[in-house]
Amino acid sequence: MSETKTNTSPSQRPATDLQLEPVWRVVVLNDPVNLMSYVVLVFKKVFGFSEETARRHMLEVHESGRSAVWSGAREKAEAYLFTLQQWHLTVILEPDEAR
Amino acid sequence: MKRVEVKLSLLVVAPLLDVIKGLADDINREPANAKPPKDLDGEFAEAWSRDLLGGQQNDVAVLLALFGEEFFLDGIVSFDQTNAEAIARACSAVRLLLRDRFLRPLADEALESGEVELTHLNSEVQKAFLCYLFLATIQELIIQHLDETILG
Repeated sequence: MSETKTNTSPSQRPATDLQLEPVWRVVVLNDPVNLMSYVVLVFKKVFGFSEETARRHMLEVHESGRSAVWSGAREKAEAYLFTLQQWHLTVILEPDEAR
Repeated sequence: MKRVEVKLSLLVVAPLLDVIKGLADDINREPANAKPPKDLDGEFAEAWSRDLLGGQQNDVAVLLALFGEEFFLDGIVSFDQTNAEAIARACSAVRLLLRDRFLRPLADEALESGEVELTHLNSEVQKAFLCYLFLATIQELIIQHLDETILG
């Protein structure tokens, strides 16, 4: 078995961009049209939430007007946005500035 | 396969179907309650809306298929795994469009609770509101009896 010797001293590493990918939040907003039971169903279907978690987010939407249901990379956040819009929930993306 | 059959009154439902059919232009114009992210560029934003609109049109077609010739013979509609998910979404889309088109004069609280004094509304808004409640009832039936089917 051959052994490859590599020089890994920091001074010879290529410059890499170590900046972290921005994090995005998927935020569901309240609307007076969609039924509470429907919103719970959608959360369970789209995110695989338990009944309890889905209800907690639904109540947060209902009582506070909004709930952040997912956060992470932009591409996946857009995919969730699209899917939730297929179910006609009112939903936006926003940068997670706390991170 | 779990299947739910419901017998409806033709006299009550037929005028409500006319309300839904009257929304055809709205249903085919743009997706209800949906906007691409603000920073998405033109072509992607167009594709986003087009795909959502296509889904909405398919879902509403599945909803309207419940009320074909057979329905007018026996008044029965049936829900199962082949149509439950599309119909649940279609009910949401049509309710949102009904709100935009006819129900703006009603307060959000009234729409949420369903407590509206019908005699205070003109006949067009009355019909739209009854259709709005009818679609909510269909959604509730599906969620109560077929939610495991939808969740797979």
